[in-house]
Amino acid sequence: MLRIAGGRVYDPANGIDGVVQDLCIDGGRVVGDVHGGRSIDASGMVILPGGVDIHTHVAGAALNFARGLTPENYRKAVPFLHGPERRAGLGGITPTTFATGYLYAAMGWTTVNEAAVPILSARHTHEELRDTPVVDKASLVLMANNEIVLDLLEADELEQAREVVAWLIWAAKCYGVKAVNPGGVAAWKWGKNASNLHEPIEGYSRVTPAKIIAGLAQIVDDLRLPHPLHIHCNNLGIPGNISTTLETMRVLDGHRAHLAHLQFHAYGGDGWGTMRSEASTLADYFNAHTSFSCDAGAILFGDAMTITADGPWQHLLHQLTGRKWGNVDVENETGCGIVPYVYKGHNLVNAVQWAAGLELLLLIKDPWRIFLTTDHPNGAGFWRYPELIRLLMDVEHRRDCLKKLPKRALRRTVLADLDRKYTLSDIAVVTSAGPARALGLTAKGHLGVGADADLAIYAQGPDGISFGRPRYVIKEGQVVVEDGEVRPASEGREFLVRPSYDEKIEEYLRPLFQKVYTMSFDNYPVEMERLTRPDVRACE
Amino acid sequence: MGGKVTCTLGEVKNRADLIIYWGGNPAECHPRHFTKYTLMPKGKFVPEGRKGRTMVLVDIRETPSAKAADIFLQIRPGKDFEVLTILRALVKNRQIDETAVAETGLSLETLKDLAARMKRARFGVVFFGMGLSMTRGKHMNSAAVLTLAAELNAYTKFVCMPMRGHGNVTGSDMVLRWTTGFPFGTNLSRGYPRFNPGEFSTVDLIVRGDNDAALILGADPGATMPQPGIDHLGRIPTIVLDPKVTHTSRLSRVHITTAATGISAPGTAYRMDEIPLPLRPALKSPYPTDEEIIKRIRAAVAAKPAWTPAAIPARATA
Repeated sequence: MLRIAGGRVYDPANGIDGVVQDLCIDGGRVVGDVHGGRSIDASGMVILPGGVDIHTHVAGAALNFARGLTPENYRKAVPFLHGPERRAGLGGITPTTFATGYLYAAMGWTTVNEAAVPILSARHTHEELRDTPVVDKASLVLMANNEIVLDLLEADELEQAREVVAWLIWAAKCYGVKAVNPGGVAAWKWGKNASNLHEPIEGYSRVTPAKIIAGLAQIVDDLRLPHPLHIHCNNLGIPGNISTTLETMRVLDGHRAHLAHLQFHAYGGDGWGTMRSEASTLADYFNAHTSFSCDAGAILFGDAMTITADGPWQHLLHQLTGRKWGNVDVENETGCGIVPYVYKGHNLVNAVQWAAGLELLLLIKDPWRIFLTTDHPNGAGFWRYPELIRLLMDVEHRRDCLKKLPKRALRRTVLADLDRKYTLSDIAVVTSAGPARALGLTAKGHLGVGADADLAIYAQGPDGISFGRPRYVIKEGQVVVEDGEVRPASEGREFLVRPSYDEKIEEYLRPLFQKVYTMSFDNYPVEMERLTRPDVRACE
Repeated sequence: MGGKVTCTLGEVKNRADLIIYWGGNPAECHPRHFTKYTLMPKGKFVPEGRKGRTMVLVDIRETPSAKAADIFLQIRPGKDFEVLTILRALVKNRQIDETAVAETGLSLETLKDLAARMKRARFGVVFFGMGLSMTRGKHMNSAAVLTLAAELNAYTKFVCMPMRGHGNVTGSDMVLRWTTGFPFGTNLSRGYPRFNPGEFSTVDLIVRGDNDAALILGADPGATMPQPGIDHLGRIPTIVLDPKVTHTSRLSRVHITTAATGISAPGTAYRMDEIPLPLRPALKSPYPTDEEIIKRIRAAVAAKPAWTPAAIPARATA
């Protein structure tokens, strides 16, 4: 039992905007009242629901590949010393699993969504998630280049495809469906890409990226998954990709969808020399179409690690930068590419990217539809979110940063004209309430009675709130951070869904599987026993 | 140079029409590789199976694997890096120094033919063994072959994979990477992970005699280490966990017999392409599993007073 007395509570999901009130916690949940137990005096402090990261890459084969690829990055990483109840680890741009849990918690984030799981190595992803302490976890399974699904779309067998998708989600023990560069990664298996949404992809005569996008969005809606189709559009990072992004949204019309790391898809121009931000065009369309949500995928200057299933883009980035290149093509399913990267303020392209992320966060009017992310570790490390919060809340600071950019870059963005300032309530929406709602996690992102008792308590100093250093962080009712020290806590839960499908689908999959895979069909699904504290959510 | 362009083994099975083995003898060391993944299977895009694939073997001597190869290229010992670098130049149509070619033991025509085959392949793959990665040039040889494969992607689809073996060595790599950030050669003596191959890698540590105890799990260094290392393991308290008697267990102070993982103990093994496979035991064993032993050792250690950096203030006040 715990009482948090006298804090100023920001709980936008319940319409509470800076009201001083007591919060009572029992059994890991918010309750109406408690008698006895510990009491925390939060007077003069600010209370926000625990952060929810809707799009991050913290676990799995691709991230582990990146760790092995760049041992030099750890030379300047923050070390985590092991203690009787804390595991050792390293921070940096690709933190080790234990460090990841501690870093998120220390910042006040309590739920993370790992956004790219290949089914073939899902067992590995869950091993890493099990070793990611404190935070609750969800994960999305990669589907838009799965050749079994594409072959069914080629034959126009959408119903069969739906059964297969449902079976695959359960096999991977994941929470939702992710589409990465639809068709492009399958084409990459032959060294090609899919840049036009309406042209058949390599190796198929009728499957186009548009057909995959519309098909999967339909399937996800039919299966009533709590989180809509989570899509990484085609042509990521390429000047002029705004047309692809707008066309993707037109193709998705009538469906729910979450557009991931939108900043990387908001560029005009026809080459690196002419690249400009088209965030305002994108925001106009987005504002008018309310069935979509998105996350910013903002970049910050400094080290990054680009990790994506988008293999062809990573080959291009390797050729552009001459830096290390990791690539893994995963049989019949997906691929991944890895290139270390440094965003530089004096670089025209990077400056435009920096501005575009902030523009989207400021120009998309409804904070319930755009969420704070850096597509960790692609745009910046997640532990730099407090820097983004400051840029959103402090217009003067934003203008000062803008002055340091190259003049040529300023002409390609409208950021200088934007004077919108985020309120604390807006911050609570874009970091917690909004992403929790978009994920369909009803007990997350708010502090009403019955909600999971995940929250962060910030002291309010003369310079405002130090978002990087909450005074206390509570996860499931336990104090997990106090005075900047992470304390041992119970392991986080893993959210997953069990969409309904006809068991007979296995009769179709088994022979096909033995033919094209190198793993036996019975070894493919992840065993439930491999998950710690699994929490199967209903599809309603 | 740097990086690794690779794939899972099913990609090779389904697509590869050019398969190159370099510095390895899969016929004897990975006897199922040809039949399960590379040569024999009928793949989704190689429906004709073996007939649809060309196999090239590059090695310093004619091993039994040469029988399976369409083309066998015997190079002079220690010339791997040179051959790979010449191939990189040929792929890019750069000028070649003919005297450098003469030293490799291969003719320019042969190398030109190989470079042309690589560029012409629809999907090419190089598997490299310890004959490349552990001979003169070591990690530079690995870097050269990985770079060659990466650069070929400007022309066609090309990937590269080390032929790993010796039990679950890939699994050990994977777990160390997500827990410490590093694949091997990790030192935790300061309470957090540090990495320095050559200083902290097992063989260097043991040959120098830096460690004063050893716990050995799933390995038999007594059979493979240089003699000074073996001598050192015999001098210090060495504890071995192994289902059977090994060279190392014979020189150890303590040998704890364990259940054989995969036969009588469950677990996970990683393939060389970093795909995890569940292991389901077929038999029961009277012996405990590795995991049980390690857990019991940990519990016994935890019961002792802590020495960790985090615990120092607590001890100071006591």
